[in-house]
Amino acid sequence: MGRLVLRRLLATIPVLLLVSGGVFLLIHLTPGDPIDAMMAESVDATVKENLRRELGLDRPLYLQYVSWMGRVLQGDLGRSIRNREPVIENVGRRIRPSLQLAALAMTISLLIAVPVGVLSAARRNGPVDRAGTTFALFGICMPNFLLALLLIFLFGVTLRWLPISGYVDPLEEPWDGLRALVLPAVTLGLALAAVVTRTLRASMLEALAEDYVRTARAKGLSEGAVIRSHVLKNALIPVVTVLGLQLGTLIGGAVITEYVFALPGVGRLVVDAVFARDYPLVQGVVLLIAVGFILSNLAVDLLYGWIDPRIRPR
Amino acid sequence: MAGSTPGSGLAEGEPARAPAAAPVTSPRWRALRRAAGARLAPFGVAVLLTALVVAIFAPAISPYDPLKQDLGHTLAPPSRAHLLGTDNVGRDVLARMIWGTRVSLVAGFVSVAIAMAVGGVLGLVAGYAGGRTDGLVMRCMDAVLSFPPLVLALALGAVLGAGLTGVVIALGVVYTPTFARLMRGQVLSITAREYVHAARALGATGWRIAVTHVLPNALAPIVVQASLSVAFAILAEASLSFLGLGIQPPAASWGSMINAGRGYLQQAPWIVFGPGAALFLTVVGLNFVGDAVRDALDPRLLD
Amino acid sequence: MSLTPRRREHVTVTRRDFLRWSALASGGLTAPWAVRAAGAQTAPKRGGTLRVGFYIEAATMDPHLSGSKIDRQIYHNIYEPLLTLDTNLGIKPGLAESWQLVDAKTLVFKLRRGVRFHDGTDFNAEAAKFNFNRMKTEPKSVRKGETASIDTVDVVDAYTIRMNLKRPDAALPATLTDRAGMMVSPKAIGERGAELERNATGAGTGPFQFVEWVKDDHLLIKRNDNYWNKQGGPYLDQIRYRPIPDDTVKLQSLQAGEIHVMDYVQPRDVAAVKADKNVVVLDVPSLADFAYQLNHTRPPFDVKALRQAVALSLDLEQIVKGVWLNVGVPANGPIPPTSWAYDRSISFIKRDLARVKAKLAEGGKPGGFTFTMTTNNIPINVQEAEVIQAQLAEAGITMKIKLVDSATLLSDGNSKSFEMISYQWSGRPDPDGNTYQFFRTTPGTSLNWSGISNKEIDAILDKSREASTQAERKRLFSQLTRLLQEELPMVFIVHPIEPKAFSPRVQNYDPVPDGMMRFKDVWLK
Repeated sequence: MGRLVLRRLLATIPVLLLVSGGVFLLIHLTPGDPIDAMMAESVDATVKENLRRELGLDRPLYLQYVSWMGRVLQGDLGRSIRNREPVIENVGRRIRPSLQLAALAMTISLLIAVPVGVLSAARRNGPVDRAGTTFALFGICMPNFLLALLLIFLFGVTLRWLPISGYVDPLEEPWDGLRALVLPAVTLGLALAAVVTRTLRASMLEALAEDYVRTARAKGLSEGAVIRSHVLKNALIPVVTVLGLQLGTLIGGAVITEYVFALPGVGRLVVDAVFARDYPLVQGVVLLIAVGFILSNLAVDLLYGWIDPRIRPR
Repeated sequence: MAGSTPGSGLAEGEPARAPAAAPVTSPRWRALRRAAGARLAPFGVAVLLTALVVAIFAPAISPYDPLKQDLGHTLAPPSRAHLLGTDNVGRDVLARMIWGTRVSLVAGFVSVAIAMAVGGVLGLVAGYAGGRTDGLVMRCMDAVLSFPPLVLALALGAVLGAGLTGVVIALGVVYTPTFARLMRGQVLSITAREYVHAARALGATGWRIAVTHVLPNALAPIVVQASLSVAFAILAEASLSFLGLGIQPPAASWGSMINAGRGYLQQAPWIVFGPGAALFLTVVGLNFVGDAVRDALDPRLLD
Repeated sequence: MSLTPRRREHVTVTRRDFLRWSALASGGLTAPWAVRAAGAQTAPKRGGTLRVGFYIEAATMDPHLSGSKIDRQIYHNIYEPLLTLDTNLGIKPGLAESWQLVDAKTLVFKLRRGVRFHDGTDFNAEAAKFNFNRMKTEPKSVRKGETASIDTVDVVDAYTIRMNLKRPDAALPATLTDRAGMMVSPKAIGERGAELERNATGAGTGPFQFVEWVKDDHLLIKRNDNYWNKQGGPYLDQIRYRPIPDDTVKLQSLQAGEIHVMDYVQPRDVAAVKADKNVVVLDVPSLADFAYQLNHTRPPFDVKALRQAVALSLDLEQIVKGVWLNVGVPANGPIPPTSWAYDRSISFIKRDLARVKAKLAEGGKPGGFTFTMTTNNIPINVQEAEVIQAQLAEAGITMKIKLVDSATLLSDGNSKSFEMISYQWSGRPDPDGNTYQFFRTTPGTSLNWSGISNKEIDAILDKSREASTQAERKRLFSQLTRLLQEELPMVFIVHPIEPKAFSPRVQNYDPVPDGMMRFKDVWLK
């Protein structure tokens, strides 16, 4: 197992090199310049030139890439051009809201998906199953910005139950923090719930059809007991892996939700950085997102392999 | 896909991994899925056909010129003259929705076609050539998958110009690895089969085998994936237009209509709900079609 | 129960009604006294935290290094410039009690006594000199352009400075009402250096002082109890600024009571917001001008007749009515109606399709021509572009639209890779700030994106800086406006009104047309 992990880790190095090269090239090809964007109304050409020289932006592209990669390999992701703070600090500041949002969204999705998924599978084609399948489809097909708009309109403006924008850290102020995170978490969570419900239902149905279940039933166990003691545990495995994969994507990907609800998360950070042509920030964050994605994929693969020896990754 | 949430179209609903890791064996299970597919599939096909007809015959069906402004009658509620009301410069919402069908379908189909073609070729080459080529191609695909698709689309949009072309290419790139992996997997499993050995023994060259034996058999899961991807590509185009990419004005796509109508949600909700409903129904219908195709071809996936 | 409607014998006008009526009644230039008069009825109450929502957060707390517009909003509450603007854009004393133009190239300022920075140090002539030197010599200073006409600053005595200019600059006092005149504590600069950009504790002299800035979350300032001006405020305990990037969400936050103030109401929301009882809207005419620059250095707009054809094809009234929903007035040039230099007698360019035909023929394109307009990818720009496209089509001119993001727009403009490009200037109190850098011949990269190089215009611009009386400058700017309508480096569209929205609890807000929100005398009910 250990050798396998090492091999997989080594295999990620060329991938990360490709990602780093790709993001560097892409962001430098976009028209526009971070200095011009920062100082739009100023005419001071000399100040701008000095700033460019100081940041090394006047050197040929390949040299800039090499020096950036050199620093990355030493653990230095550079500094944001706009606020001159280290990229790591910028991300660190934003990771907490993103993680909390992701965690709450996943909790909400499980709260919905587990009962619905289990009941759907236990009573196939029953009312819960029909409703559940419809809901699952709804969740996957609904554009999340439309959902966000509707939720804001309903709960924020009309009913005034929940705050519609801004972030309060639940670890500091639990009640206000949770209230502020509810709407965005529900926006993300509903779509996630749809995915999880479908997965859970499928894996439950499959587990229910297994031989050992028939044996348990033959032994006289009630349906409920069968589900609880045997089926559910096995059926949850694919669910856990789905959620694990989603965590990697939720961190950097909830951009639209973060924009609409004014949450200072990682998604908005990177999109704003692209608009401002903040090269080091874009490069650094994309690299971090890629690393996170790769690691979570690896963890999921290994988990699968450990649980089901039939599917050991090669 | 790195950095994409469900509901944005950039995460394809379910990871391709789940079915492969949970081999389906029970006959009861198979029967169930086919039954479910049978009920929903006609609806999906109906939606797809309607969308295609509307898109093709848009000039004939559309009640008004979608670009005609009428600054005297902006934000008018639905009436007999304007079945879905007018937008903020007085253009007929229904007309724009009808013409928008073209854009959405083009965005969906062309981007997936690109991904299928490029991904398919790459997967074929990787699976067939093996060794170093395989490693290189798959590393590249992994790199694309690890790249946050939103950033990719934004950057490509800035480089190529923010029109539909940029979005279509960006989406094509984002979906390519899925097809590449799929094709490669198929190639690997098919070339291991006996009839390929037999064909080789009879003297057939590599290319002939690829074309006559590998491709036809590999197509099934590709088609399944494609039919599901189109729905999400349409959703993704709408999401990207939220961030300012996509069709150039004054032309409209459903996504850009929703985005433009956002600010008028309280005064004139029909601007958002018309295209919103169209978007939702189309995506749902295409999902049904995709599911039905998957169920119908399911037994072959198990090999 | 009576079936006939009761006749109102005695009509009581609540403060809210009064505000609403005066806001609704004024279509264009509003009476700002409405709010203050209403507030003057009861005594101001001390206390409370004012919550303000802006579309982005500040970039830096150091006024000498600042390039962004939002920064200024906060600066005008914690820092003070030597001179300030009143509601009519008149220049009044700030940290300088009085100033005198000794000769064309010498300005003497008498500074206010008894003013302390928030860190306790004195504000005096040495501090002022230090500030100007820093603006001119600090490598990262963004104020170099604005202070270019200043040669040296001498300390005459403890509270008097003399500014020696390189050339006459009639626009300088107006420039000193903003960042270029803001005084920062030399002690804070010395102690904190680059960290001043994040942490401005003790650095200003204003009615409020910096408390903390949690990036991406909020910026907090609190009342300065030792403020030198004992008349009026400050009354508020604290002011909390929050960035809310989404317009719709910002408005909804205000309506839901989560914030008390927002800096800008989109034209499309104005009518609905004015009808909302929970919100008070103030129409504040701005100094801004929105226009399209035409590239004089390449076809098709190197031909004057074709530029004029485009200008004559536009129906500005229709654009202002249809796109801006009358939250603004059609523009006759770069100078806004709020400015003393605005010439009411010069009309904006009116649509004349017959003359368009003549101009097209004159320009060698009798059958019309095609070009591309580059504009920013935000809803109102897109809408305006679509309307203009339709208007030009009626005149036989085909316009294509190219949407780009802001960074690309700046890049295209600076490199002159455009034919017609959208440009929005936030405006300066002195007309020179809305004209010189755009229309003066300037080689290389500059804000003169059109590339115009016209001797007559250059001469007028230079003379306006040297002129000694406002009357003479006004005459020159009128001349300039007429010339600009002829030469068309830009096609001017609208001078927008920047409506600001408040919770009804906010009292005594005094709107100055520079759009800066100064909260010194504001209190919360």
